[in-house]
Amino acid sequence: MNHVTAEKPRSPLSHFWHTWRFHINVLLLMVPLGFMPKYFADAALFRGDTGLGQREIGEVQVGPWSLRLAEFRNEGPVSDGPAGPIKYFNAALCDSCRDQVKATYLRIGKPRSLRAAGVIFFGTPYRMGAGVPVPEKTKTDAELWITMEGWDGAMHQASIPLSQASPATLAWLNKQGGKP
Amino acid sequence: MSKKSRSKLWFLVHSWLALPIWFFVLIVCVTGTLAVVSQEIVWLANPQMRASPPSDDAPLLSYDEIIAAIKKAEPQTLVERISRPDESHFALDVEVSYPDGRSVTVYVNPYSGVIQGTAPQFNFKGFTRALHGWWLVPFTNGYSWGWYLVSFLGLPMLASLVTGLVVYKRFWKGFLRPTLRFRHGARIFWGDFHRLSGIWSIWFIAVISITSVWFLIKAALYDNQISISTAPVAPVVARESVPLTIDGAPAPMISLERAIHEAKERIPGLEDSSVSLPANAYSHLSVSGRSWYPLIFQSAEVNPYTGDIAATRLLSDRSGLELVTESMRPLHTGDFGGIWIKLIWFFFGLILSMMVLSGLLIWTKRTALATANALKRSNKRPRTVVASQPAMNREATEVSR
Repeated sequence: MNHVTAEKPRSPLSHFWHTWRFHINVLLLMVPLGFMPKYFADAALFRGDTGLGQREIGEVQVGPWSLRLAEFRNEGPVSDGPAGPIKYFNAALCDSCRDQVKATYLRIGKPRSLRAAGVIFFGTPYRMGAGVPVPEKTKTDAELWITMEGWDGAMHQASIPLSQASPATLAWLNKQGGKP
Repeated sequence: MSKKSRSKLWFLVHSWLALPIWFFVLIVCVTGTLAVVSQEIVWLANPQMRASPPSDDAPLLSYDEIIAAIKKAEPQTLVERISRPDESHFALDVEVSYPDGRSVTVYVNPYSGVIQGTAPQFNFKGFTRALHGWWLVPFTNGYSWGWYLVSFLGLPMLASLVTGLVVYKRFWKGFLRPTLRFRHGARIFWGDFHRLSGIWSIWFIAVISITSVWFLIKAALYDNQISISTAPVAPVVARESVPLTIDGAPAPMISLERAIHEAKERIPGLEDSSVSLPANAYSHLSVSGRSWYPLIFQSAEVNPYTGDIAATRLLSDRSGLELVTESMRPLHTGDFGGIWIKLIWFFFGLILSMMVLSGLLIWTKRTALATANALKRSNKRPRTVVASQPAMNREATEVSR
């Protein structure tokens, strides 16, 4: 081998490739090993073994009712598809209001009417989720509005500052600040 | 280029296709093979997943009776979805939501409605599929790069099949006169094995590699926001048709039997293999299952208050392209006709894994040796022909015989 190299000098890249080509296997096999903790953490998160979400926001009073709110992931909004950046929240209804609440909605900014209450929560009263679109130009002092609708037609609203609902989203907005 | 040197080139291409990532390819093949029967492995390991009929003529409970049985045993538990696995020896998979916020799958006996157990925290089926499908690389923005990494292997696999058939001259003769020589040393044995299993799994390698290439294309389309779907946006229940109640209690819903009946009226031959309960007050009950075409599910969205069919997704709604692309996944996994199809896929999966291994053994025994020899020779006579040709000549004639 050495003689050949002496006769026909190889480029450093070619030499590197010939020396290390089979080590790619080891690297490739380390990939799933490296991601395994994340895989199991995610599986537990989806099952709800580790709570409502990665970061509990706390109990929010909405008129006579209340709900426990959590950030699904303790991170900024993610873009997946044409809808733009989405931030996922999870919620659980209070024990006494479980049978009274027909629907729960989330929106950034105060809704003008029930028909524009925002995104609806999917799931059961024990654990439901909603993905709120977060436009990149959202103001950092924006509020997250929760609208709850009763089976009897009643409607109640409450809001919390976005900074309290999701510090990670605020950090993400600040980082987007440079963009037009 | 002469015919001879062209076949040499084909041979060289074939020899190098899986290398140098052969071990990665092997593990992907092995995990895929395991994923085919992962559900059955869990069934073997976990008695709670089995559905033993109390007597030979015991009738199956309706989905309403299943929900009633769960409600009686665990009044707080809410059912989100019921699915009936393909094979009758499996218990029903029921997705439930617990008051503590956990969402899990429980195994429910289809004859008695007894909750036999909760799916184990370690989901073997999900794990093998994630490992095989995307190498456990998480999906963050669109498809994970692990998905691309694995599905990309469909291309060299397809190329291996084509080049393999080109260099194996008159391969169809192998069907008539199968050769597997045991007593001529390892090199001959693995060579025979590689060729014999190769020709018998032409169809399988073609199916697996073409469907894998489709997975690659699918991810690329999705990540570039290109859609070939003709599926309409899922409808919601109109605000007016959700009844208000005076006492503030949830509006009564139709029974699951009624929903299934309505769906079957609209879709003749529909199997009720899965029923999803509405995920909120404005969403539909969804009934889905196969009918005559085993590869694609059809579904109906039923208004849970009135029983009206709000939308259907039928075979006939799909474009020709969708009929092809939506058949790709079941064809890849062998999950469309019960245990026997799965066992065939499992068997050929094993063969395919062995082909990667035998290909490597042949390579180390021949190509590496020949390369070393050629290098030695070229050392003495600097201007000789390309390395490893003498060995290839021999192989090419041996193959063609």
